[in-house]
Amino acid sequence: MSNKSEVKRFEELFGLHMNAAYNLAHWLTGNESAANDVVQESALKAFRFLDRFAGGNARAWLLTIVRNESYTWLKLASGSRWLAIGDEISEDNPDFSHNETPEANVIRSQDKALLQQALEALPPAFKEVIILKELEDLSYKEIALVADMPLGTVMSRLARARAMLKTELVKLYKYD
Amino acid sequence: MTDIDCNICQKWLHGYLDNELDTVIATLVTEHMASYAGCRRRYEEMKTLKADTKENAPYHNAPADLVQNIFANLKASVQPELSLWEKLRKGFVPAFSTTALAVAILLYMAPPSNDGWVDEVVSEHTRSLMAAHLTDVASSDKHTVKPWFTGKLDFSPPVYDFAAQGYTLLGGRLDYLQHQTTAGLSYQHGKHIINAFIMPAAESDSEPQKLSRRGYNIISWQQNHMRYILISDLNMGELTTLSQLLQKEV
Repeated sequence: MSNKSEVKRFEELFGLHMNAAYNLAHWLTGNESAANDVVQESALKAFRFLDRFAGGNARAWLLTIVRNESYTWLKLASGSRWLAIGDEISEDNPDFSHNETPEANVIRSQDKALLQQALEALPPAFKEVIILKELEDLSYKEIALVADMPLGTVMSRLARARAMLKTELVKLYKYD
Repeated sequence: MTDIDCNICQKWLHGYLDNELDTVIATLVTEHMASYAGCRRRYEEMKTLKADTKENAPYHNAPADLVQNIFANLKASVQPELSLWEKLRKGFVPAFSTTALAVAILLYMAPPSNDGWVDEVVSEHTRSLMAAHLTDVASSDKHTVKPWFTGKLDFSPPVYDFAAQGYTLLGGRLDYLQHQTTAGLSYQHGKHIINAFIMPAAESDSEPQKLSRRGYNIISWQQNHMRYILISDLNMGELTTLSQLLQKEV
């Protein structure tokens, strides 16, 4: 049964991770009001299922819920288009291009707006691993938990995600 | 020691970069990169990209009011009903005289009847149909209706459209039931209008209670600290279908 001490426990566990929750929701849904909705729903769910949290990593646990809620939002907002892209990923065939252009080597993604645009262009399945790794500094083990994939897949997913980010930056650099 | 090929290295260099490789494999990668300039260059490139992302990708901090709202709502949702004694102590019940107190206690102890809320629900339902005030926000899109409630209610009501199952969401409005602000959702099924009232409840979950009043069918239940009341002139069977759809979603 929920009571006041449960609210207190909830605050202690997750109070510090609300920024992480909002950050992931914002990157995945791409807008503020959706991120607001997603975080509210997620907090409510986390609270409801508090008894299922067996201790351990509270941030990863909350982010798992936020990710699910964000995907639910995406699915409803844009059909199954985005999810389909994630589902079709083949980990066996990483697209490591060796055809590097000379510009590719001089591109520095120091322009914040450019980097944001490039990152936003990635499908959620790739965007999320970059956010979780570079912005939240989660370990591969935690990423596997949050993004619901085998531990062995995390490295190849990140490899592809970074390659795609690089490609996006090259594109923007050329078109800019 | 066996060497690794460039393809493997292209993948492992990410684990290398993120400090996720065990020392044996990390050594293989180091050795490989020492002799292959392409992989070394790729590694430097990815290292730069990682550093730039860490430094320059915007971090979206949660708005302060969102966080405050979340915790305030959770607190409100578990606020226990005050006992009469606490009410007296906190001055909610003015103890003017022993007579007044006796009357207050008698009134308080009178068995709670269903009739209060049932009549209110029936009145709200009829009013919503008569006064052309079915919806404040007319939309079948839950992403229009749900955010509309934000800021108007101190809870976030679940908003779902079941058009596919024959229950089309018409929109939402604010209502006032049982001394609290309530989310009102209207659905249409055939020619029938269904009102769904949703409000926070302190009580634990309860099975749907079905009753009829003045020609209307009513289904009420508690789930996840929310109280749901459906009312319509629709027959009980079809109203039950909607209640089951809702129960599954929330």
